[in-house]
Amino acid sequence: MSLLTVSQLEAGYEPGLSIVKGASIHAGRGEIVVILGPNGAGKSSLIKAIAGLVPVTGGSVMLAGEDITAVPAHMKIRKGLAFVPQTENVFPLMSVEENLAVAAGVLRAPAAHIEEMFALFPDLARQRRLAAGSLSGGQRQMLACARALIVKPGVLMLDEPSAGLSPKFVEQVFARLVEIRASGVTIVLVEQNARAALAIGDRAYVLVEGREAHEGPAKTLWDDPLIAELYLGHRKEGAR
Amino acid sequence: MSLQFLLDGLISGAMIGLGAIGVTLTYSILRFSNFAHGDLMAWGAYAALVAVGALGALVGTMPLGPLSFGLPLIAATLFAMVFTAGLALLLDWLLFARLRARGQAIIVVMASFGASMALRNLLEFLFSSSPAYYSRALQIAQPVGLGIRITPDQVALLVMTVLLVTGMHLFLTRSQRGREMRAYSQNPALARVTGIDVSRVVRATWIIGAALAAAAGVMVGTLVQIRPLMGLDLLLPMFAAAILGGIGSVPGAVVAGLIIGLSEAAAVMFIGAEWRAGVAFVILMAVLLVRPTGLFGVTER
Repeated sequence: MSLLTVSQLEAGYEPGLSIVKGASIHAGRGEIVVILGPNGAGKSSLIKAIAGLVPVTGGSVMLAGEDITAVPAHMKIRKGLAFVPQTENVFPLMSVEENLAVAAGVLRAPAAHIEEMFALFPDLARQRRLAAGSLSGGQRQMLACARALIVKPGVLMLDEPSAGLSPKFVEQVFARLVEIRASGVTIVLVEQNARAALAIGDRAYVLVEGREAHEGPAKTLWDDPLIAELYLGHRKEGAR
Repeated sequence: MSLQFLLDGLISGAMIGLGAIGVTLTYSILRFSNFAHGDLMAWGAYAALVAVGALGALVGTMPLGPLSFGLPLIAATLFAMVFTAGLALLLDWLLFARLRARGQAIIVVMASFGASMALRNLLEFLFSSSPAYYSRALQIAQPVGLGIRITPDQVALLVMTVLLVTGMHLFLTRSQRGREMRAYSQNPALARVTGIDVSRVVRATWIIGAALAAAAGVMVGTLVQIRPLMGLDLLLPMFAAAILGGIGSVPGAVVAGLIIGLSEAAAVMFIGAEWRAGVAFVILMAVLLVRPTGLFGVTER
C-alpha cells in the first residue's frame, strides 16, 4: 500500500505561475523513491510543496490515508513527514546537540532519541558541542538527516543530499540512507546525481516541466534512452 | 579626576542594554527595526506609575531599608511588564502582523514610526509632558572608594539588571521555547519544517521584548524621571547597542549597551555634556563602516 500519495499537484510562489504542474508520485512503506529530471524541471519545488514550503494551488498530498495538502509546514512533521532541504539545512549558530535538541523538543521526543542519533552518526557525536555552522558539508548533511530522523518520521524527503559533496561523502550519505530505509522509513530522494541515486533506489520518476514524464524501477531506468538523453553530458548543479 | 562617570555610564548602559535586548530580538526574529520599542519602555514606566499610585493609596510606599521604593513598586513593575507585553501583542495583532503578511519589511518599519508617535502622543495626552516620579524620597549616595559614590537604588537596579539578563540568557540557551526562537532567527524555513510554530515564536518575542522594555522603563523612571519622551531619548542608543552587539545576540546587546553607556558618560566628562547625544551616532556609524556584523555577530553564510 502506498504511504505517500501525491496526485495532480500544482504549486508555485506566484499565482498563475505554477512550477509544479500536475505532478503525481507515490511511495510505499520502506521504499526509496528517486526523483530525477533536468534543471528547472521543478524537482525541488515538488518536494518543497509536499513539505509545505511552496504554496500548493491544486491537487492533493495524502499520507497514510490522511489528506495533508493544507496542513501547515510545522504540522507536517507531526504527521510523520520529514524534510531535509538542500542548503541551509542546519541552524548554524547552534551546537550540533542543540540542533537535535530543538527538533526533539518540538515533538516532545524523549532525550534518548538524541543519543540514538549520535549512535547512528558517530561523526556527529564527536562534534556535539561544535557550532553546526563550522561542520564540513558532509557532516552538515548528516546532521540535517539526524535532525529530521529524530522524531521517527514515516517518510523522509531529501533535496539533493549529494550536492556539493566529494564522492567519498556521497557514498557515505547514500550508504546511510540505505541503513535508514532498512529501519522501515520511506525515503523520497530528489537528485541530480542519477547514477548514485538509482543505485540505491527502488523506483524512480523523471520530472520534466513540472510533471512526471517517466516512471519505472530504478535499476532499469539507468539504461533507459530517455535518461541517457537527459543526463549524459549534463553537469550536476543545484536546480530549483 | 573623578571616576564617578564610570558608575554613571555603567548604570545608563545597563538600561540601554536591557532595552536593546528587545530591539535585537525583534530585528532578528520578526525581521524589522521596531522604532516603537522606546515607547513600549515609556508605557511600561507609566503603567508602573499608575499601579504604584493605586497600591500606594492602599498600603503606602513601604520602602525597603535604604531604598526609595518597596514592595508596591516591585509589584507595580511586574504589572507593568505584563501590561506592556499585552500592549505589544495588541499592536502586533492590530498592525504589524497584517503588514508582515504582505512581506515588505520597510512598510513594517514605517508603521512602527507611526505607532511610536501615536503611543508617545497618547502618553502626553493622558499624563501631560511634565515629568513624574515614583518617589520623592531623597537618596544619599555612599562612597565606595576611588571617588565613586553610589545610591542604594542604583545598587538594587544593577542587581535587577544582572538577574534579568542572566535569566534571559538561560531562557534562550536552555529552554525549548528559547531554542525555538534562536532556531527561527537563524533559519525560518528550516524552523518550520522542524515543526516550530512561527506564531508561538512571534508571541514569545513580543512578550519578552516588551516586558524587558517595561523593566528598563521603570529603572529609568526610578533613577531619573518618567516622561513621555523617555523612550524616544533612548531609542538611538538602544539601536546602536543592538547593532554594535551584533543583531540577534543578547549578550552582545548587553555588553554593547554598557559600552555605549560608558562612552556617553566619558563624553560628558571629557568633552562636554552637549556631545552626549552624538556618541551613539558616532558608534553606530563606526560599527556600520568597520564591522557591520557587530561585536558578537556572525557573517551570514
